[in-house]
Order: sequence, then C-alpha cells, then structure tokens
Amino acid sequence: MAALTPAPTRALQINPFKLSQPMGAALAFFGIEGCLPLMHGAQGCASFTKVFFTRHFCEPIAIQTTAVSDICAILDGGDAGIAEALRTIGEKSRPALIGLHSTGLTETKGDDLQRAARQLDQGENGLPLVWVATPDYEGGFESGWALATRALIEQLVEPQRHCTPRQLVLLPHVSLQPLEVERIKELIAAFGFRVLALPDLSSALDGHLGQGQSVLSDGGLPLAELRTLARCSHVLAIGHSMRPCAEALQRKNPAMQLWSCDHLQGLLATDALIGRLLAASGRKRPPVAVARWRSRLQDALLDCHFALGQTRFALSGEPDQLVGLAAALGEAGGQVVLAVASTATPQLANVAADRVQVGDLADIAAAAADFDVLIGNFHAERLSHQLGKGLLLRGYPNWEELGSQLKSDLLYEGSCHFLFEAANTAERWRNQRHCPPHA
Amino acid sequence: MQRRQIRELLQEDACSHNAGRVSACNRPKPGATSGGCAFEGAQISLFPLADAAHLVHGPITCLGASWETRLTLTSHPGTDFTQMGFTTDIRTSDVVFGGETRLRAAIDQIVEQYQPAALFVYATCVTALIGDDIAAVCRQASADHDRPVVAVEVPGFAGGKNLGSRMAGEAVLQQLIGTAEPCRTTPFDINLIGDYNVTGDLWQYRPLLEEVGIRVLASLSGDGRVADLRCAHRARLNVLVCAKSLVSLTRKMEQRYGIPWISASFYGLRDTSNSLNAIAAALGDADLIARTRAVTAREEARLTQRLQPYRQCFEGKKAVINTGGNKAWSIASALQDLGIEVVATSVRKSTEDDKARARACLGEKALLMTQPASQQLQAIEDFGADLLLAGGRSLYTAVKKRIAFIDVNQEKKKSYGGYNGLLNLAEDIKNALQNPVFRLAGTEAPWLR
Repeated sequence: MAALTPAPTRALQINPFKLSQPMGAALAFFGIEGCLPLMHGAQGCASFTKVFFTRHFCEPIAIQTTAVSDICAILDGGDAGIAEALRTIGEKSRPALIGLHSTGLTETKGDDLQRAARQLDQGENGLPLVWVATPDYEGGFESGWALATRALIEQLVEPQRHCTPRQLVLLPHVSLQPLEVERIKELIAAFGFRVLALPDLSSALDGHLGQGQSVLSDGGLPLAELRTLARCSHVLAIGHSMRPCAEALQRKNPAMQLWSCDHLQGLLATDALIGRLLAASGRKRPPVAVARWRSRLQDALLDCHFALGQTRFALSGEPDQLVGLAAALGEAGGQVVLAVASTATPQLANVAADRVQVGDLADIAAAAADFDVLIGNFHAERLSHQLGKGLLLRGYPNWEELGSQLKSDLLYEGSCHFLFEAANTAERWRNQRHCPPHA
Repeated sequence: MQRRQIRELLQEDACSHNAGRVSACNRPKPGATSGGCAFEGAQISLFPLADAAHLVHGPITCLGASWETRLTLTSHPGTDFTQMGFTTDIRTSDVVFGGETRLRAAIDQIVEQYQPAALFVYATCVTALIGDDIAAVCRQASADHDRPVVAVEVPGFAGGKNLGSRMAGEAVLQQLIGTAEPCRTTPFDINLIGDYNVTGDLWQYRPLLEEVGIRVLASLSGDGRVADLRCAHRARLNVLVCAKSLVSLTRKMEQRYGIPWISASFYGLRDTSNSLNAIAAALGDADLIARTRAVTAREEARLTQRLQPYRQCFEGKKAVINTGGNKAWSIASALQDLGIEVVATSVRKSTEDDKARARACLGEKALLMTQPASQQLQAIEDFGADLLLAGGRSLYTAVKKRIAFIDVNQEKKKSYGGYNGLLNLAEDIKNALQNPVFRLAGTEAPWLR
C-alpha cells in the first residue's frame, strides 16, 4: 500500500488547495437548522468564507464575524467583542444557535472562548451558543469540521443511559456532498433505521428553492434533535476525522454501538456497510433496489476496467476524501500514482496510492510525467490545461461546474456513476492526444 | 504601518463626505459586518500585476480561499502570477518563535524558482500581531536579490477593503513609484489607477486611448507591469477609474510630482465617451481633443446602430437595482443607455458622491433605497418593474414577483466595460428578460394548487 513520503519542512505553499480550520467549522455549523456561524476574528476571514461557499453552492450564505479591529486585537480579551456581536445579531434575527469559532488572530492573542462562552451563553438575548477553537495555523478544513461537530456533541447533546433501538447517528466527514449524505441516510433507513446526520447538509445546502427569503440556513439537523442524539442505538462515523466525534457521542451514552469506516466508495466498502446493516437489522437480504445497484456496479467495474486499467491518476484533496477516491479507482484497476493531501492525518496510511504526501498543486505539477488524469478542486482546472491532462473536479470549492451538491460518488449507485465519469474522462483525454495538433 | 498613517488614509480630504466635518470612526461593527478586510483590499489592488509574485505571509485562510478568484486578465507573456497563490502557511511554531525565517526562505525560493520582476509581501493579522519585521526582511531580500520586494502591511484587523486598497497604494507610492526612469516620455502619458482589468474591462477602452495618441505609461494594476509603475511619476495625468479607494494615491502624487488627476468611469456609452473626452481635455491639446471627439462620435454611432435591435426589446422596460457603491449609478447609467428606465437603486453602501450622482442620473421621480432589502419588493410592485439587478440573496424576490433577475455580484466572466461591454450587458439582459425560468421556478406544486 501507500509509501507515505514524510512531510518535508517547507517554508512555502505554491498554489495551495489546502483550506482552513475556521472554514471547515463554519460549514459544519451550516448543517444545524437555524445556526449562525460567528467567526471570532478580523472581518476578512468571515467575508472570504461567505464568498467561498456562496460561489460553491450558488446560494446565499449566512455567517457573521466579531470583526476584531486593531484596538480590540490589543485591548479586548474577546469578551467585549463577542458580547457586542451577540447583542447585534439578537437585535436583527433569532438564530437557533450561534456557532462561535476562533481564528488564528484571536488564538494568537489568547482569547479564552470557553470563558467568554460560559459568561455569555443564554446571557445576551438568550441566544444558545456553542464554541470551538479553530486556529487556522493548525489542521485544516477537515479537522475544523470535525472539531465543530465534536463541540456540538460535547456541549449540547444530553447524556443518556438508555437507547432507542434502530436509531442511527450518521457523522459524515467534511468532503461528503449534500446528496451523498442523503444517499447514506436513505440506504440505512431502508433497513428500518431512523437516521439523523450531524452535521446535515443534505437538507441545508442541497440547493433547493425555499419558501421565503430566509436570513439563516433553512435546513439541517434541528437543535432539539441534536440535544437528544445520545438516545440513538448506533453511531456511524465516516472517515478517520470523525472517529473522535463518534467516541464523544458514545461517552454521552456508553450503551450506544459505535461503527466507523474509512469511506463508502466502491464495492467492498459498501458491502461492508450492508453486512453490518443486515446483521443489526436481522434481515436476510437488502431491499431489491440495493441488490440491483450492486449488480450494476459489478457490471460497471467490468465495463470500466479496460479504460481505467491503463490510466494513471493524481489526486489532490482532504485525507478522508483521498482514501475513498483511491479505493474506488483501484477496484477497477486505476493506478493512483500520486495522492497529495492538504494536511497530515493517520488516514494517509490507508490511501491506496503509489505515493502519498502532504503538499500543494506544485507537487502535482512536478509529477506531470507520471500521470494522465488529475482529480482535484477547481484550481486543478488551470493546471490540467497547462499540463495537458484529463480532469475530474472533486472537492471544495468547485467554481467551474454547477451542481456539485447533487453529485454522489458513493455506495453502489454513486460508485457506478463515478467509475463511468472517470473512465469517460480518461478515454476523452486519450482521444484528444491521438488527434494531430491543431486538427 | 503607523496608526497615524492609517488615520490619515481613513480621513481622505479628497473624499466629498469628509468636506467640513470630522470623519466618523469607521470601526467595523461586531455581528453586523459583511465586507472584506484590509488584506483583501490590498490583494484586489495589487494581485493583477502579473509580472510580480504575491506572497501572503500568514495562515492559510488569507490566501487559501482567495487566490484565482478574480478574472484579472493580463497580456504578460511570461508566468501569469495573477492566477497563482504563494503563502507561507504559518504554523503554531511560527506563532511561538516568529515567522521571519520562514518568510525569508519563502522569498528566496520564489526568486530562485520563478525569477519574478518583483515581489509583494503581504503581512496579515497573525504575522502582524506576533511582530514579524516584514519591512526589514523585504529590504534585505530586495538588496540580496536585486529586485523590488515590496512590504504591504495589511493585517485584516486594520480595517476594511477600502482601507487596504489605500494601504496598497501607499506601499506602491513609498516603495516603487519614482524608483526608475522611463526610456522615453510623451506629452500624452497617463496612468490608469484602479482598473483591475477584470474580464478585460480595461482592454475595452485602452485601444481607443492609444488610437488618439494617448499612451498608458503605467497601470495600477490591470494588465500592469512593475517596471512601468516605477516610472509612473513621469505621467502627465492620473486617471482614477471607478474607484474611490486609490484617491489618496492620486492626491499624494499630485502633491509630490505635480500630476493632476481626474475621475473616470467606463460603464455605458455616455460615461465612456465623457471619460475619454475628459482625459483629452485634461491633457489640454486642441488636436488631441478634436481627435478624441471624432473617435468617440464614431464609436457612439457604431454602438447605437448595433444596439438598435435591443432597444426595441427594452422599450418601456423598468429596472430596480440593488447593489453597492458606485454601481448604484454606473450600472443605472449603462441601463439608461440601453433605453431601460431605472426606477429605483440602492444607496445603502454608497458615498455622498455616489448618492448625488445616482440622484442626478435617475432624476427626481426615482427611489433611492436606503433599506433595499425591505424596500425592493415594494418598489417592484409600485413601479411595475420588469427586471431586478441585485445580489444572489434577492433572487427569491424576483422569483416571487416573476420578473427577470440578473446577479450583479456574481463573479463576471465577460466584460460590461466600454462601448463593446454595453453590447454584452444588452445581450445578457435580453436573455434574462426572455428566459422563462423566472416565471417557471416559482410555480406552485400540483399538490398545493
């Protein structure tokens, strides 16, 4: 398996696709109904984040900032700025929850969010508050999302001693798109479970025309459901980054059964989940449609193996995303020669690639001779043109294509579509190469 | 940057809202702030320089979410640095021990690998707070690498985008302008200040300037070059394009180098002609003025003819505009050139100057909305508007009223600037008016009817 190249100590990122912790945390808060992320930092962090997600989802995005100024940066320990922000927010709208999260600036100056939150929770206009430290000089997008999810669990979920059977909490990692979360929920529900996702982007940022001009997110997991999550009998963490969240939930109710998997892309990963669901539900067979899609995926593997078996891929993305992509391609014989991750996590050891490293798009460019098709976020578009490579756009942000939120690459059905798209991309790339230049 | 300098940049005498009163404290309001920060403002103003590498010294949020976001085109034949991202991506250890070593290593690596004409190094919140001496690192690197390494100290906590643009202008003034002499000069050399050539806006009118014999000596910063900027002090005129933020720079260049400046806008037919003629008039040569008149008249005639089919389609159409700043009147003026009546526009984020221009442009009957979010629905009803030009948040208003919608804040992919840009705008408005989605999307589901 992977030969993990140790991360060299670097002074410079060239064309980075890495994203920050506070942005990941903000995205997690969008998955709670009526939650307003409040970024504790200078106004630019929230502004960049707002524009970033607005362009990705083609939806208005609600986020606020404590707008730390030069004077606050020196004199305020955070309390005054946060209190003022909460007062102002409370005067204009009534968020169900405030997702207070820090940035590099406020962590550097040493603001104590926990103390500020304890003083302010329910104090200013009675707005409930969850807080999390997410300096952007540590971790990245994936860890920010996971830290916010864990904070939601630790601070808001009520401890329980008994479980309601056949209820499952789904903890998706940051790179799963809204429709993917919905597909996992549907599959598990088909085995007789009630499924609650945390965070749940499938009803928040799935790109639906709402019934009004809402200031806040009009979907996501309701706060009341969040508080009683520990009643559920099962928790399923998708991705290495979400395991600590599942463990935190289990601490709220040790009777909960904890499942976790690295990813849900491809035949084997889906088989493993179905196996668990069969055992837990006592059923002998999955629903007919699920079995049908499995046989279609078997056929898709055979149909795509010729194109993919001769194609070399370079991947860039978040660690939990890379492990799924590499597994799905590998099942059809795709050769993943290089996987470049945004950040270092133990998950990188599970990425089925010849070479795995932490880095940027300059690392991909340096390996240009070794691969045919590139998979990455929208920054990969320009690079693929420059290098003359095939391109598959995946990950945040995708400003080049519409509809990312309604794509699914996982389970039997999504894996079929993913394989076809990858194989078609590879074939189109090969056809173009065989054309005489300027023909 | 010193606090005194920041205060000075915030209280710009050349801004009309500062006439006769002390500038209000413009501290952003926690919980009610949506604009970008000083770093973003500097980035917008300087990143279009395609022959310089732009290194952001800070954690990943600053650059990670912001590079390759604006279609600032360039004709620079070498590596296009406008669409590249460089950051030190500082870590916890830098916060503890200081980031100067990392910064210097990053500068060295960029020079070695890419040989840019210059480097701009941006200090951000964290690196400013931990006290990295970025100016000193840049001075030393500049001497060692024999090229300008410009320190741009724009921590986001210093203020908003506008201030950041001013700080960027200040850095260029102090560290670049006047550091080289042009090979030759002409009596008709101008600088373009504040057009970033997004989607090629600047290219819509620059050929016309050249046709009449006006030379663009330097551009800050659309399709600009560092070498030209260093000579910018030899221009005869500064043309401030649609941007209030760099007015401090033009005023200081007037004081220091005696270069007069004028404001210009190249949105719409009348504004484009007016601006071209004003530039010629400011340069003060009778022949040049006559030549420019002839060219603008020719272009107007050509454009008017090409707009004819659209004018029929737009006959009697009314529009409501909900956008910010100078767009309140510049887009309104362009729409009027197309024969569309602008019945209401937003002035919530406009300067005093912009409000006055909006009123002059729209006339007494039009509504200047100070609370556009709550007013625009009523305005559409009252005036019977056919078209709403606004940001994405207002889409639902258009769908509810079943009228056409154009997202003016979305990152544009084609230019609306100059004479030809008006044709692009006309085509987009025609398509929006004819598109059935605005009537269809809001259709009630059969089970609700």
